[in-house]
Amino acid sequence: MIRFEDVNKVYKGDLVALKDVSVEIAKGEFVFLVGPSGSGKSTFLKLLLRDEVATAGRVLVAGRDIGRLGAWKVPSLRRNIGCVFQDFKLLTNKTVYENVAFALEVIGRPKHIVRTQVPQILDLVGLGKKTENFPTELSGGEQQRVSIARAFVNRPLILLADEPTGNLDPATTVGIMRLLDRINRTGTTVVMATHDQRIVDAMRRRVLELDHGSLVRDQARGVYGVGS
Amino acid sequence: MSRLSYFARETLISLRRNLLMTIAGIITVLISLVLFGGILLLSSAVDHGTEKWKHGVELEIFMKTNASRSDVDAMKSQLDADKALVKSYRYLDHNAAYAEFKRLFHDQPALIESTTPDVLPESFRVAPVTARLTQQVEIDYNKRPGVDKIVTAQQQIKNLLNATRWIRLIFFVISLALLLSSLFLIVNTIRLATFARRREIEVMRLVGASNWFVRVPFMAEGLVQGAIGAGLAFGFIWVLKVVISNVLNSQQTLFSTFRVTDSDAIGIGILIVIIGAVIGTLGSAIGLRRFLEG
Repeated sequence: MIRFEDVNKVYKGDLVALKDVSVEIAKGEFVFLVGPSGSGKSTFLKLLLRDEVATAGRVLVAGRDIGRLGAWKVPSLRRNIGCVFQDFKLLTNKTVYENVAFALEVIGRPKHIVRTQVPQILDLVGLGKKTENFPTELSGGEQQRVSIARAFVNRPLILLADEPTGNLDPATTVGIMRLLDRINRTGTTVVMATHDQRIVDAMRRRVLELDHGSLVRDQARGVYGVGS
Repeated sequence: MSRLSYFARETLISLRRNLLMTIAGIITVLISLVLFGGILLLSSAVDHGTEKWKHGVELEIFMKTNASRSDVDAMKSQLDADKALVKSYRYLDHNAAYAEFKRLFHDQPALIESTTPDVLPESFRVAPVTARLTQQVEIDYNKRPGVDKIVTAQQQIKNLLNATRWIRLIFFVISLALLLSSLFLIVNTIRLATFARRREIEVMRLVGASNWFVRVPFMAEGLVQGAIGAGLAFGFIWVLKVVISNVLNSQQTLFSTFRVTDSDAIGIGILIVIIGAVIGTLGSAIGLRRFLEG
């Protein structure tokens, strides 16, 4: 599903973000991306979203080299990749329902699809009763659920999560991880960048560790730090 | 359908959010296009009045409507031979005169209907070797057989031509400068609009909205500003046309041939609406370029 071949990314000013990273992630896998700040986790995700383009090497998604994708084809790539962030990126002037519906409307999905899909996905994330609330009226965990609903409402093949629990307390975090796990079980590939040692250790999934842009560990049922 | 209503809604919201900037954009488009259209209108009035007096033509010799063939032929050969006075001339027979008549009065079909080629006199438009010889030509040819009368380009008309040339140029430059500033205002409005909606745009790009989907509401916003400004300008031009017509009609002596026709005004109106729409769309395109690239 995802394949990095000797990927290098150098930002302006010779800042090396990724160095010779080669890795393959199969369909339906759940992968943690760990490492200290500045180790290249976010760059890894940005390359997958085609928010950035690799300086050298190839990034393949579903067999296609996305670095060579024309600008007009990028939207269709992103429709197959859902995205969740630490700061949720919800629109505060729209209700929960409208936030999720927006993701379908702007890619031109017809109204009847929007009307059936949105309540369904909001039920799935456990917000079926808060569809008319505004994001500011929700807790952090609930806001992240809305953001996950928005990322998943179009049933993408891949879900990327960049520190999705970074702003949440441990109890709420557990709920979010259950939700991501559930989404993963539907066959969606999940790649999650995180600092949270506890959840990595508890979940026991594949762990990729980056350090100064190099892939230093790839462990099938790993924990956050070696030897911990 | 749902897309159209989406675009309409987003465009309206954005126009309202930047109401002051929107109004400023519309007003500058309006003023610059009224100026521009006004110059064109003035130009067309002057052109109508001075159409004959171009390319050095200083006088027009009208033959009697019943002038004989031989009178006309004699006049031709005399003009051909008169190298000392005549630089060039153009002969208009009945049909040519009628064709020009139809062109000048094409918005008065009743007048054309009631006129036939044979009532319009044949004429010669003469360009003397130098303008100072005009008087001499008039004296020499006035008495020739078959000549009805000789009309010379009035000094006033020439003064008017010279004066309006400068006025036209100045107003043209001013209206260009204003058009440019209205373009910049629209660019700025669109930049503000994209900035105000940067989070929405970010989400749209993230979930895979196509580039044109993101752009259309902003393009429409610029287009609406340009089009509203131009539409209002069209109205002003029409009022201006009525005013000019009234002034010209009340000064029959000098300006009798200076006219603005409805079709002139409509043509100019359409032109400025197109210019307004182009300015609006161009402004949006420039305003969007930096924010949405990549």
